[in-house]
Amino acid sequence: MFYRETGQFKSKYKEELAAFPLAEDKVGIAILLVIAYVFIPLFGIPGLSFEFTMGAIMIPVFIFTITTLGLNILLGFAGQISLGTGAFMGVGAYSCYKIMTIFPDLNIIICVILSGLVTAIVGMIFGLPSLKIKGFYLIVATLAAQFFLEWAFIRVAWLYNYNDSGGIEGTNKEMFGLIVSGPQSDALTRYFIVLTLLVLLTWLASNVIRGRIGRSWMMIRDMDIAAELIGVRPLTAKLSAFAFSSFYIGISGALMVFFWLGAAEVESFDVNHSFTYLFMVIIGGLGSITGSYMGAALVWVIPVLIKEIGKTAFGFDAFVMENFSIIFLGVAIVVILIVEPHGLARLWQITKQKLRLWPFPY
Amino acid sequence: MSEKNSVIMEVKNINLRFGGVIAIQDVSFNIFEGEIRAIIGPNGAGKSSMLNVINGFYHPQEGEVWFNGEKRPSMEPYQIAKTGIARTFQNIALFKGMTTIENVMTGRQLKMNKNFFWQMLRYGPAIDEEVQHRRRCEEIIDFLEINHIRKTPVGSLPYGLQKRVELARALAMDPKILLLDEPMAGMNVEEKQDMSRFIIDVNEEFGTTIALIEHDMAVVMDLADRVVVLDYGKLLADGTPAEVQSNQAVIDAYLGVPH
Ligand SMILES: Nc1ncnc2c1ncn2[C@@H]1O[C@H](COP(=O)(O)OP(=O)(O)O)[C@@H](O)[C@H]1O
Ligand SMILES: [Mg+2]
Repeated sequence: MFYRETGQFKSKYKEELAAFPLAEDKVGIAILLVIAYVFIPLFGIPGLSFEFTMGAIMIPVFIFTITTLGLNILLGFAGQISLGTGAFMGVGAYSCYKIMTIFPDLNIIICVILSGLVTAIVGMIFGLPSLKIKGFYLIVATLAAQFFLEWAFIRVAWLYNYNDSGGIEGTNKEMFGLIVSGPQSDALTRYFIVLTLLVLLTWLASNVIRGRIGRSWMMIRDMDIAAELIGVRPLTAKLSAFAFSSFYIGISGALMVFFWLGAAEVESFDVNHSFTYLFMVIIGGLGSITGSYMGAALVWVIPVLIKEIGKTAFGFDAFVMENFSIIFLGVAIVVILIVEPHGLARLWQITKQKLRLWPFPY
Repeated sequence: MSEKNSVIMEVKNINLRFGGVIAIQDVSFNIFEGEIRAIIGPNGAGKSSMLNVINGFYHPQEGEVWFNGEKRPSMEPYQIAKTGIARTFQNIALFKGMTTIENVMTGRQLKMNKNFFWQMLRYGPAIDEEVQHRRRCEEIIDFLEINHIRKTPVGSLPYGLQKRVELARALAMDPKILLLDEPMAGMNVEEKQDMSRFIIDVNEEFGTTIALIEHDMAVVMDLADRVVVLDYGKLLADGTPAEVQSNQAVIDAYLGVPH
């Protein structure tokens, strides 16, 4: 009886339409925010070094959660499949790089957001086929986008300023006198920036999803013909989903290079990565924001931890551990999908449902 | 039924073909404002196709649709929805991944227009709009007595309730004309009685004009002000339930034949 609706009456629809109508949910979110903003920066994760906690776990998980949110908006909420996520992150990263080159004094956060907007436009263009085709054919079309963009990242030397390495690299960027990005930036600073963007983007996504536009996406997803007869314009609904989704994915791509890796080449944006992000969405749960967090965390952290434990505790060869972690992740995915095809988010929901009745299950 | 008998909708000489199949052949009839108009006929007679012509999903090769005294130009379904035509489907077409209230809210989609910016903040005009439309949807949910399933995903509801949610969604559009494609198919007697009562209530309380397809003749005789009979895509008869029932051609073609 720790989690329940009983006794929490809403006298106004506005209260019921709030993000977390239940008091317990509000408390839960507050606790998570305190952990993320205070406890982890102060104490890290027990048993792991601070550097490892930030660089190998927290920052990438936050960034990939933004990616997963983006892909989930498209796949889970609007029902449009894409295998171009990796390349769309590349669009975000390369456009951020170019924006920083052209406007060297522009605030880097603004550069990141602008690169999200560029990706939104590119995503919309590559989303055009969705107006005519669905399912497998759309997969093929987005795969074509993936390969075309990869080709562009290699062949269009302008994108990486004609440098010899063929990659892009971040330089030190200051904000309020603090180096926030680039080789000399502090991991903790980057952590706070990425975390804050994640929190903001999560809030925006949950708002859009619960309103008119989010409903138009779900209508198209669930039954496009009925949606059209009720008055949803497929063009607007689908392209806005591609744009909003790509906005997130583009931002995550820019963050990945300039707030985590520091530098990147075309390999960071290849189709294998597209598949990984797809795993994150499916494992977490289609059409769930909470699921996006869980999927990104699980799919990223399990292999990293296995590799780390294998290396430090047992002294295994990195190559062996790499393969072992892939196998383990594969098995975990299959098991989760057999237990609950709707992903971790549904498992979490079922648990909450049980808590609602606990300790009297009947 | 309105006393004046003013025509709100008229279809004239509709011809609809799918390749070699003639679904509708030279059919004309009208619908009076505020009446309950039944369309009956054996399976494959072209009834559903007729509704699809009226709400713009099918574009007939020949013929005209007149609405509110004007000839309707060729329009996309979402534009026609905007003019005030709502419908339910023979095979339930709810949004399965959404809850009852969300499904009903989709009926208000066309009346909402706050832009992406406000939607992202879910503040100010966007939330005001949401609350205002939510209020109307709750009224409809009360009206159709589906409060208890407000937050249930519709995919898990029994068939009869799904039909009712679909009616709620159509009503949420505040339509001028409501097209119901076999709203009682597959229901037991009680469910049919409930649904009939709701249809009459909608017609009387909201003054909504209703065109419905129904197989159960007893129901049609009770509900309808006037009846159109289709057979093999052709108009067989048009008149009051009593007139239609005593029409020899209808008796031969339809009433005696089980379907
Ligand atoms: N989309 C379509 N494509 C091809 N044939 C169709 C289509 N819709 C309806 N038809 C044909 O039109 C005829 C009338 O169908 P329909 O309007 O569904 O009949 P009813 O609703 O009276 O049972 C049938 O022969 C059906 O096969
Ligand atoms: Mg039919």
